[in-house]
Amino acid sequence: MEKEVDGILVAAHELKAPLAVLRQLALSFDDMDETGEHIRSEMVRVSERAIKQVNDLAKIRRLEDGLFEMEPVAVRAVCDDVTRELSYLFDCNRRDLFIKYSNRAKLVTANRELLYSVIYNFLLNAMHYSGERTRSELIVQDYLDKVKISIRDFGPMLPIDVWREIKRGFIEKPTSIAMRPGSSGLGLYIASKFSRYMNAKVGAVRHRDGTSFYVELPISKQASLFE
Amino acid sequence: MIFVVDDDVIMAKCVARATKKETRIFTNAIEAMNEISSDEMPKLIFLDVLLDGPDGFTFLNELVSYPDTRMIPIVIVSSLDYSNEDLSSYGVVGYLNKEKMTPQEIYQYAKKYAK
Repeated sequence: MEKEVDGILVAAHELKAPLAVLRQLALSFDDMDETGEHIRSEMVRVSERAIKQVNDLAKIRRLEDGLFEMEPVAVRAVCDDVTRELSYLFDCNRRDLFIKYSNRAKLVTANRELLYSVIYNFLLNAMHYSGERTRSELIVQDYLDKVKISIRDFGPMLPIDVWREIKRGFIEKPTSIAMRPGSSGLGLYIASKFSRYMNAKVGAVRHRDGTSFYVELPISKQASLFE
Repeated sequence: MIFVVDDDVIMAKCVARATKKETRIFTNAIEAMNEISSDEMPKLIFLDVLLDGPDGFTFLNELVSYPDTRMIPIVIVSSLDYSNEDLSSYGVVGYLNKEKMTPQEIYQYAKKYAK
């Protein structure tokens, strides 16, 4: 078992190396016209996204080593960073992103890196499952003694077996919801694993016209610099 | 002259190109070390850590063992994160993450240390 897991780390490194080279090659082109610049930019972003996914897979292995410390994290700042990174992708795919912050508590107890990946993967999932010109929603609100981050899509209804897995608290393995590119369920699997590590509650709500995934994080008792 | 030591030749060429300076590429530490000791002294070395054969740290240890090579500035180029490590005693003047670095950052190091 141990060998198999370590094999994942080795594979991750092997996959990352050519992706990093591709990214660097794209950046190496000299001055280009607008079209060339656009293609270069796409190549860089696609490579970076793939590198991030491979890194997340490698992090799953490292969770067992307990290397990710829990700390007070400014939840809106993380959401802002993620949405900034993904806004380009939403634009390219002609999807809208609606963001609403109504949380009073600014700090949650989490690991920033892992929380970033949870929100990133939920949003990417929402983008994939939403139709063209439909919107995804990111809503952050207080929920009892927690902060709840919900990401809603207006795509197909979540299959009941996947919903049951999420309700149970975690997803055992990537499960495809639809046979489309980027729909392997890998993002949900990663988000589920990271949330579990942070003792955050993950859940999903099945709507008639889509799905909301949410993660609930405990409010940090540390005095917020933002309050 | 700038040395680029990386077992991934394409990545090494990318780094070399970005320096806009005269460079030599080595795919393993032994070749690079032999060249330093027998021939010219590089003004700067871009060094990958995970190499075929002796790794980057073995190479660094070798460099600091000799008075004429211990002052060569080194920029670590790796997918692993060394930004929190203090390797200045090895002559390391900077770190570049292979997954995030830009040609401009590479050029800035070349401009500063290999005038």
